[in-house]
Amino acid sequence: MDHFSLTIIFLFVLFLLLGSGVWIGLALMGVAAVGIVLFDKGFVGANLTDKAWDSASNWTLTALPLFIWMGEILFRTRLSEDMFRGLSPWMARLPGGLLHTNVVGCTIFAAVSGSSAATLTTVGKMSIPELRRRGYPEFMTIGTLAGSATLGLMIPPSLTLIVYGVTINESITQLFMAGILPGLVLAAMFMLYVACWYFLRPGQRPRAEPVIGFREKLANSRFLIPVICLVLLVIGSMYAGFATATEAAAFGVLGALVLAAAQGSLTWSTFKESLLGATRTSAMIALILMGAAFLSLSMGFTGLPRALAEWISTLGLPPTVLIAALMIFYIVIGMFLDGISAVVLTMAVVEPMVRTAAFADLGFDMIWFGIFVVVVVEMAQITPPVGFNLFVLQGMTSHEIGYISRTAAPMFLIMIVMVGVLVLFPELATWLPENLRNQP
Amino acid sequence: MRTLRKVLDTIYLAGGVLGALFLICILVIICAQMISRWSGVSFPGSTNYAGYCMAASTFFALAYALNAGAHIRVSLFLSRMGRFRRFGEVWCYSIAALTMTFFSWHALSRNLQTRKFNFVSQGLDATPLWIPEISMTVGSAILAVALWDQLLRIVFTDHMGVASRDSMEIGD
Repeated sequence: MDHFSLTIIFLFVLFLLLGSGVWIGLALMGVAAVGIVLFDKGFVGANLTDKAWDSASNWTLTALPLFIWMGEILFRTRLSEDMFRGLSPWMARLPGGLLHTNVVGCTIFAAVSGSSAATLTTVGKMSIPELRRRGYPEFMTIGTLAGSATLGLMIPPSLTLIVYGVTINESITQLFMAGILPGLVLAAMFMLYVACWYFLRPGQRPRAEPVIGFREKLANSRFLIPVICLVLLVIGSMYAGFATATEAAAFGVLGALVLAAAQGSLTWSTFKESLLGATRTSAMIALILMGAAFLSLSMGFTGLPRALAEWISTLGLPPTVLIAALMIFYIVIGMFLDGISAVVLTMAVVEPMVRTAAFADLGFDMIWFGIFVVVVVEMAQITPPVGFNLFVLQGMTSHEIGYISRTAAPMFLIMIVMVGVLVLFPELATWLPENLRNQP
Repeated sequence: MRTLRKVLDTIYLAGGVLGALFLICILVIICAQMISRWSGVSFPGSTNYAGYCMAASTFFALAYALNAGAHIRVSLFLSRMGRFRRFGEVWCYSIAALTMTFFSWHALSRNLQTRKFNFVSQGLDATPLWIPEISMTVGSAILAVALWDQLLRIVFTDHMGVASRDSMEIGD
């Protein structure tokens, strides 16, 4: 058979296995094995165990279980109540009031958590009932929460960025630094949206909060001290250059344990649950990475990534058009796959394309692209029919998916604007990592 | 039969606990590495040891994660198969069990080879590689057994497999 039809069979098997519900990591291994047999490229077994071992014993990957563990510990503390108590006095007088606690709370928690679901549940656990009690419109409460939770992935630490960095062999620390400014800009845009609502819909404003003296505000802020210390410990140690991403994760775990112990929420059973939970999740992600490593080897044999990159360069499209096309591509993939699987599955094909000169001329490098991917993959998580943030919110509020996705629609549009901002000002993502001093 | 069930479940759980212990090992090694850097005492090969622990933590816990429903899949079509779902599950478990059996067979033969030719790590640790590779051999074998275990129960009993999470649910 000729090369072209072999490639078609290969892609068919890929969609068949993934679509029929085989576990993603194992499906990728199966497809890759079929690919090596089809293209007659040597020993399947030896290649498979080679790739699996290299990928599983990769030192860079150790940041992943540690950050997951940290999140599992923090989830079992009283952090969400403390954050709401500390933040609400400061937010109450802003135009839009306590809705800002959703955005700012997510931004702060994102800096100690690598996942958007953890951010969503931690912040929402406290803010949804509190905002409801004070008469804020449900539409705004849920929408801002769904959108802001996506910051969990953008602001370091970020599980998706670790997986992305490991897949394409880029520095995790640099990727983390790249996420900070775009994350803050996105948070500012969400806050702007809340302020716009306040001025455009005066009828929906709840009764103003009682005025609190400055002294009392400051006193309430003491509840924020533990989480701020943790943020400084994790991000600060990486920024100052005395810790790698993995070491920062180790700091994070120790810090989270201390925080939990100080609050009295660290018992043998919470410790055991957090540790076993982290072990399960990290084994799951590592299995996907093993499959993906083997698949990208096999994908290389098909010549598909190179052919696609060449074909696209002959079209002579401007990179901005390609970025728009990629955005739509990832949103569609995101309807069926989670962010991490979407990243590992596509990078083998997309990487050669992004590493071309046309992209470099505009200031788009692999670090920039990582931030772009995180934004678009997260957009997919707040769009129906399937989007994880929507499911979590459905569980927390028992609204219908349709309603929740309508509340999240404005946030989706804001994120599209964010992609535009990233394209116009790539320095937003690339400036900080380039100016990182003395990396360890 | 009941004894077999008990033995298998104990093995899966033990794998999970072992994985968790290796996760703690990662933390300890990373901390030791930082302390050694600040104090000027050298800890050669620390990154390699952390990598071996990562692999061990992953491989030992694979079957435990499967039975806890942690591994993710695209269940969009599977969940719409209604009363034909059993056939879908048999297909998925068969593919998975075959893949993992193949994997663990080759992991074993690789492990025997690294032992026979005594391959040593290229890093500063100079560990004989067959030792850390045991985790891959044993862990993948446990996962293969767990998959066959599930498959046989689906075919011969009312069991419908583990309620594993949909890919959309990992919530990253």
